[in-house]
Formats: sequence, C-alpha cells, structure tokens
Amino acid sequence: MTGGDVDETGSVAEPAAGSADPGSDGAAEVVLRGSDLRKTYGSALPFGRSVEVLTGASVAIRRGEIVGIVGGNGSGKSTLMKILVGALDADAGSVDVSGRVGWCPQDELLYDRLTVAETFRLFGEGYGMTRSEVESARDRLAATLDFEAFLDYRIDRLSGGNRQKVNLSIALMHDPDVLLLDEPYTGFDWETYLAFWDLTADLRERGTAVAIISHLINERERFDRILELADGALTDVTEQGSSQAGAEGVR
Amino acid sequence: MTGRSPGGRLRVGLGAAVREFVREPINLALLVALPPLVVTGYESMLSAFPRLPYMSSDPEALGATAGTLFVAAFLPGVIGLFQVISAQRADERLSLAGFPTPTLFASRLAAVCLAAVVTAALSLAVLATSTEVESIALGFLTLAFVGVLYGLVGMLVGTVLPRELEGSLALIFVVDIDEALASGVMATDAAVTKLFPLHYPHEVFQAAVDGRVPDVADVLAAGTYGLVVLAAAFLVYTTLAGTGGGAQ
Repeated sequence: MTGGDVDETGSVAEPAAGSADPGSDGAAEVVLRGSDLRKTYGSALPFGRSVEVLTGASVAIRRGEIVGIVGGNGSGKSTLMKILVGALDADAGSVDVSGRVGWCPQDELLYDRLTVAETFRLFGEGYGMTRSEVESARDRLAATLDFEAFLDYRIDRLSGGNRQKVNLSIALMHDPDVLLLDEPYTGFDWETYLAFWDLTADLRERGTAVAIISHLINERERFDRILELADGALTDVTEQGSSQAGAEGVR
Repeated sequence: MTGRSPGGRLRVGLGAAVREFVREPINLALLVALPPLVVTGYESMLSAFPRLPYMSSDPEALGATAGTLFVAAFLPGVIGLFQVISAQRADERLSLAGFPTPTLFASRLAAVCLAAVVTAALSLAVLATSTEVESIALGFLTLAFVGVLYGLVGMLVGTVLPRELEGSLALIFVVDIDEALASGVMATDAAVTKLFPLHYPHEVFQAAVDGRVPDVADVLAAGTYGLVVLAAAFLVYTTLAGTGGGAQ
C-alpha cells in the first residue's frame, strides 16, 4: 500500500458546512482524500435487488489527525474503507493518497497456518522492509500490544484478541503515513485497549493520520473529528453529535 | 525501507505457501495415500472389463495407466485450487501491502510444482509395481508436467470460481471426463477430445510405458497447451488477485 496510485478523475467539491472534507485551508497536509465516492452492489440475478451503499461520500484526512467514522450496521463503513485503501473499486469518484497506507481490516485477513513471526516476515516483504526492519517492528509492536509470548504460535491457534493484535500490528509495522482501522479494538481486553490508544497517540505525535471506523464511538475526546456515514454520504458531526455515539460520546 | 529482490520475495512467498500446505496433516496424508489407492483402484476396476476391439491393450493395463494419469493430474489440481481459494482474502491484503501479484502467482505455482513432482514420483512408483514402464524418466517428466498443467487449471478455477465446493466439483468433473476420453477406455474419435488437457500428455505417457519414442507432434502440442494454460492462469490471477473484485 504505497498510495498515490488510486487516483481517478474528479475534483473535490468545495467544503460546505458540516462537510467531511475540510478543504485545503487547514494547517496540516491532507494525506488521504476521497471525493464523491459512489458504490452500488448490483445483483448477478436478473430480478435481484441492487444496493446503493455510497452516494457521493467525500472525506479528507490530515497528517497527525485522528478521525472517527461512525455509522449504523450496513451503512457502508467497511465498503468506504476498502475503497479508500484500494481493495475495492468505486463506481465513481476518486481517491488520492500521499504516502504509505496501513490497513487493518475488520476481519483478520491473515494466513491461518503461518506463525506470527512468519506473518510479519511475509508482510514485511510486501512492504519492502529488510529482515532487521521487520524484526525491529515485530518486537516493538509485540512488546507494546503484549503478544511477545505468541510469536511462534500459528495464527489459527491464537485467541481472537491476540489475532486482532497481530492484525493491527501488520497494518502498523511499516510505519504508515495514514492508518485506516476498521473496528480495530474488537476483542481487546482493557489493558490492550488502553495500549492501543497510547500507540495511537504516539502515531499522532509523529504525524500519522489515523481513521478509525466503528459502529460505536464512546470516547469522543480521543478523536479530532467524527464523521457519520448515513444514506451513503459522510457528514462532520463533531460538534452536533452522532446518532451512533454512546453514553459518553459526542452527544 | 528498501526495495526487495524478486528472488527474495519468491523465496519467502514459496516458503509460506509450502508451510501452509504441510502444516495441515490431512494434506500430507492425502498426498501419500491417494496415489496407491487410485492407481490400484482403477486397475482392479477395469480388470473386470472384457478387452474390446478398439482398446490398445488389456483393460487392466489401461486402468493402471489411466489411474496414474488421473491422480497425477487431480491431486495437484486440487492443491492449486485450494492454494488460491483458502488464501484468497489474505493474498488480497498481501498484494495491497505491496507484494507483487506476479511473485505471489509464482510462489503459489512453485508450491504446486513441488506437489506435482511428489505425486508424479509416487504414482509412477505404484504403476511400476504392476506394469513395466520402459522409460521411467519420460514417464516421470510427463506425469510431473500433467501435475503442473492441472495445478494451473486448479489455480485458474480457484481464481474465477473462489468457492471450495463448486470449484472442487468443477475440477473433478473436468479431470474425470478428460482422463476417460484420453485413456482409450471409451471408443471415441471426436475432435473435441483433443481440446482437453490430458489428450496429448496421455499419448506421450503411453509411449513412455511402451518404450516408444513419443511423437514429436504430441510433445509439441502438449507443451503448447501447457504454455496457453500458464498464460491464461497468470493473466486471470494477476488481474483478479488484489483488486478486490467486488466482494462486499
């Protein structure tokens, strides 16, 4: 995921009030911009229903910013994320990325019968990292997220929480400029949850842009902005609150 | 972060593919157990048949040869199919991470080639216990080629039909029909039989068993067929793997 190669035609609309795209007048550089994204899942059967998921979603994420993207079940959050990382083609719209992208999918897309260490090695090859870079990243992330004891375990023999730690670490290991996380803390225990936010704060300090997709955001203060995906479009609800926020959320 | 050599990536990719395969004990058990079971099964099944006028040799020998080619084709075919299907979504992520899809394809194919070589050796060894194979080297090369050919077919099916049940059924159907037509057990001269993957390799393998020099035209046709399937599998895999296709 090197970015910069998923650009299609189309320009970014001027930001409107409540827009998820802050335009170009902000202080920090935009590292990820999705403009007017549209996606409809068609049916292969003649009388099947097609589902319009995105109807013109636009988003811009700046360096050093933590953005939450919320939405109800089936609102298209994962579809949006897949389009942003290049795992899925949009029907229309464009995605511009500057720098390296890290993607933590909702499902752990890992090789079940490889060990944790072998998984790092394989994805490290993909990222173009040397063996020592891979080992350094692996040891650092294993210490931070507390899975050092499981480096020689096969992925399919890890608990759900530990698999999710590896899933997240694979997205982080190449020190990306923009990090897209789809429900990243599912299965984490409380200590790991806190370690995750410490890690995210470190990344933010270093200028990494982080977008976190979740169906529920409880700790509003951890985010710079919150965007809500509803009816196929994104709206900035940082100030007014979201229907998806929890008890301590943005309301 | 520096660029990695294609050779290094291929080595790591192949290592991962082989580990994924051998760490499933049932895979190894099938790889070892199926060749003797299938070859002897075909042989004993056809031994009950009378020798019909169009048959080139007695049914028992035809059965042993047919079983050898069937298992040499079928096992690597299934392995190729499952290599692609079981790792499809993880491969997509790996590809998005920057692992080149041609290298990923080569890693998967290399693992299939290893399986093809093992299957060819085992099935030929079983055949040799009941049938005199005049040219072991040519027989082995032909069986290994058949394994790689069907391994590619399996990868192709797995890429365009990434469902384990449907993909396996499609593959079994094709190999069954193909070997039945190529073996000479059925009386047919239909030109369509020449379009199936095993037609020409079967002729070459029969020459190896009989100790004849194979017809150059058969060797060339088999090689050309293999190159076409290789090109098709490569193009389809590199086009579809890593693009996301459209799965929600």
